[in-house]
Amino acid sequence: MATVRIPKQKVILCGDYGVGKSSLFRRFTNNTFVTETDRKSTLGLDHIDREYNVGEKQIKLQLWDTGGMERVASVTSSYYKFAEGAILVFALDNAASFHSLSQHLLDIVTYAENAKIFICGNKSDVDGREPEVSDADVEAFCEQCHSLISATYKTSCRTGEGIEEMFQDISRQLVQANRSKMELQALERESFKIDKAYEAELNEEPSSCSC
Amino acid sequence: MNEEYDAIVLGTGLKECILSGMLSVSGKKVLHIDRNKYYGGESASITPLEELFQRFGLEAPGEKFGRGRDWNVDLIPKFLMANGQLVKLLIHTGVTRYLEFKSIEGSYVYKGGKIAKVPVDQKEALTSDLMGMFEKRRFRSFLIYVQDFREDDPKTWKDFDPTKSNMQSMYDKFSLDKNTQDFTGHALALYRDDEYLNEPAVNTIRRIKLYSDSLARYGKSPYLYPMYGLGELPQGFARLSAIYGGTYMLDKAIDEIVLGEGGKVVGVRSGDEIAKCKQVYCDPSYVADKVRKRGKVIRCICILDHPVSSTKDALSTQIIIPQKQVGRKSDIYVSLVSSTHQVSSKGWFVGMVSTTVESNNPEAEIKPGLDLLEPIAQKFVTISDYLEPVDDGQESQIFISESYDATTHFETTCLDVLNIFKRGTGETFDFSKIKHELGDEDQ
Repeated sequence: MATVRIPKQKVILCGDYGVGKSSLFRRFTNNTFVTETDRKSTLGLDHIDREYNVGEKQIKLQLWDTGGMERVASVTSSYYKFAEGAILVFALDNAASFHSLSQHLLDIVTYAENAKIFICGNKSDVDGREPEVSDADVEAFCEQCHSLISATYKTSCRTGEGIEEMFQDISRQLVQANRSKMELQALERESFKIDKAYEAELNEEPSSCSC
Repeated sequence: MNEEYDAIVLGTGLKECILSGMLSVSGKKVLHIDRNKYYGGESASITPLEELFQRFGLEAPGEKFGRGRDWNVDLIPKFLMANGQLVKLLIHTGVTRYLEFKSIEGSYVYKGGKIAKVPVDQKEALTSDLMGMFEKRRFRSFLIYVQDFREDDPKTWKDFDPTKSNMQSMYDKFSLDKNTQDFTGHALALYRDDEYLNEPAVNTIRRIKLYSDSLARYGKSPYLYPMYGLGELPQGFARLSAIYGGTYMLDKAIDEIVLGEGGKVVGVRSGDEIAKCKQVYCDPSYVADKVRKRGKVIRCICILDHPVSSTKDALSTQIIIPQKQVGRKSDIYVSLVSSTHQVSSKGWFVGMVSTTVESNNPEAEIKPGLDLLEPIAQKFVTISDYLEPVDDGQESQIFISESYDATTHFETTCLDVLNIFKRGTGETFDFSKIKHELGDEDQ
């Protein structure tokens, strides 16, 4: 049976430790939220695919989480490779996490220079208090970045607010940006992943060469 | 850092990263530290190009070599056998999902000052210009024997017992001349010296099968190479370790490995901080007093603006110079990669010549390899000690890997890793411990 190949786009989460990257990832994965005490549940899980419809087109977003490497060390440069999109995440109640966005941005343009970059202010549910980072701050940052930033979003992983909208919009932007590129790529790609099919072959008796 | 761990791993070279991944997957609490700011240690791919020049105390090259960021230059050149141990480890650990590969276009062997394609099947044996007409036929029947050979089926052994007889007697049985023995042992079985002639022939048969089975996958050569360079490999395993709970620290000096009663390791000290642990896994550079020198390896990174001649302009290739061809005891390996693997800027090539040092003038030893790559725009030479641990680590619970050898692929690397894992945990690595269903996109 012939299946239509849906283009897959790697999107990475970047940002300081504790801003809610894994929470976004979990919302993306199964739309749940867990409190800090139960974080171990993501062990072994680091990226997941979900399909989105953009008009007539389908697109598979493959969202990647850092695996917590940024806690004390840096994320490996290979994390960025092949990324088509990058979401810079900061916490609205944590100005420091906003100020380090420029460092994360630098990593993205160094290691994933073709990625479209988005900014996500998370923890929009900080009620009662003024957020430490204002809309004007974010706007000013985007201006400084000379239109490197494709879009900005506000989300709350606790309530789920803004999250679906963000991923929908990112899908739309990636489809637009890549419409022609993806078709080209499908033709030109000669590198490959070693996958399950490869393994199945490995376990078979190698067929001896007939001449 | 002031916590207690099951294991502390020092150095983020490939071997340590594989071990860290395997330990984390097995449920151990792992702290993984590197004194450098980057992942990979000796197995890193250096980027940008300016960094490589700086590392060798040279002035930055300016615009000459294109954009510095396009370069990812390996310090230790190796290829993956398409059917080899590392590929199996990558598949079973799921690390393969972080990487993309391309096969190496050509595999060549040096004879009498020229290079020729390594003949691996019967058809190639008959068309190869490495042998005369009668020798070709003898070599062909040798290949047929190897192809039909099944270790578990003595009927295929015919009237020869390769588990008891040595390889020399097998060559004699097929009346293969010295030249043919040379490229069979060194370019097909990938032995570094001639010790194998006295070992049971079955070892060599296994290695020739690995070569031809690997070749059968993609046709051009038995070798694979990752996009963006070998440095992607340790990073992939580090990520595996991290997503299974491993903690990573870079740019952290290790001042002392703290020993307790009976010389057993109890922790690792950095400045005033001590991380406690039951075991330490590390590369030789972290334990100068627990390793001994077994020899030296010379490696020369070469930047060129052309492919190697007589390789049909292959954008990536491997050439083996068997020891006897140039009057040596160990082989010289030449490898070439380029922008097709995203390791150089367009139009440029990264060549590498390496061998085990045999004299006081190692640079002269690699001349036959360099001659194949000339003209060379820039050379970077390193001579490093080959270090091995003085003990198996049982007493101290400090498990030390060997330095990376001059071999051209990762088979010995993987054997060392699996061996260390067994020494450290007392068990053979259980591949089924990895939850395949998680994060596996291709169900």
